[in-house]
Amino acid sequence: LAEEFQLTDEMKAAIGVESKPWPYEVTTTSVRAFARGVGYTDRIYYDEEFAKSQGFRSLPMPPTLVATAVFDPEKSDHRFSGPRGTLPQFESPFKRLLDGGTETEYFDTICAGDKLTATSKITDMRSRPGQLGTMLFTTTETTFRNAEGKVVAIQRGTSITY
Amino acid sequence: MAAKFNDVKEGTEIPQLKKNCSTQQLVMWAAGSGDFYQVHYDLPFAKSTGLDNIIVHGALKHAFLGQMLHAWIGNEGKIVKFGCSYRGMDFPDQDIVCHGLVTKKYEQDGKKLVDLEIWTENPEGRKTSPGTATVALP
Repeated sequence: LAEEFQLTDEMKAAIGVESKPWPYEVTTTSVRAFARGVGYTDRIYYDEEFAKSQGFRSLPMPPTLVATAVFDPEKSDHRFSGPRGTLPQFESPFKRLLDGGTETEYFDTICAGDKLTATSKITDMRSRPGQLGTMLFTTTETTFRNAEGKVVAIQRGTSITY
Repeated sequence: MAAKFNDVKEGTEIPQLKKNCSTQQLVMWAAGSGDFYQVHYDLPFAKSTGLDNIIVHGALKHAFLGQMLHAWIGNEGKIVKFGCSYRGMDFPDQDIVCHGLVTKKYEQDGKKLVDLEIWTENPEGRKTSPGTATVALP
């Protein structure tokens, strides 16, 4: 049976702390790679001239892709390619990981050529019993800003450790 | 043809999108998304974490739902808000059917908006990635 788990003081202290900004890019190559991964055949995600003829600055970002975190071999997470250690770190008994879900709000069209910065913070942490034992649900909110500082998207993701 | 606000009816389903991932597609997705977690391509690793099989990335199912919405709204429509949660696992070489049901259409701040319930369904008919979306239509 799943046991009750109480958040540690370290975990509670991590909630709400905002990370330093991390650079993100959208490039024609990243849009095409993402579109191939999903299986799109729409030329809007592959052919820049066609995208421009449809009124876009360049290849537009396909749904769910906001931008790609710029990879730094010293500072990025090698498994997930995003920033590592920019949020407060804490000890946790849960070592295994699943993705719980994601929601994104879009405030502007994002296209190849855009350079964004993102900041993240943990907004919620709670444990509950799940299929694989006691699970810790962590919600992280990431805010993406464009070069002018305008918020272009906010993404809320839930990770599950167990 | 892309959806037009005036033609949309509450309570109707939008065209479904049927997907079926090969392991090759999961690797292409790993490269495109930057998610190289081994549970999505390394069977012994997946089993060592308590899973029965390689699993399809939750974010890929989310992106499939995005592909269904894109096919429906075309390039003139815009996704305003869109999310789903990953409630059940899906596996390679099995059908994943994306569904969308129009729950509400309304005008707000000069925009013509449509809310949908969206989900992916596995071969047993279980909703493995339920969520909601709001789109703006011409």
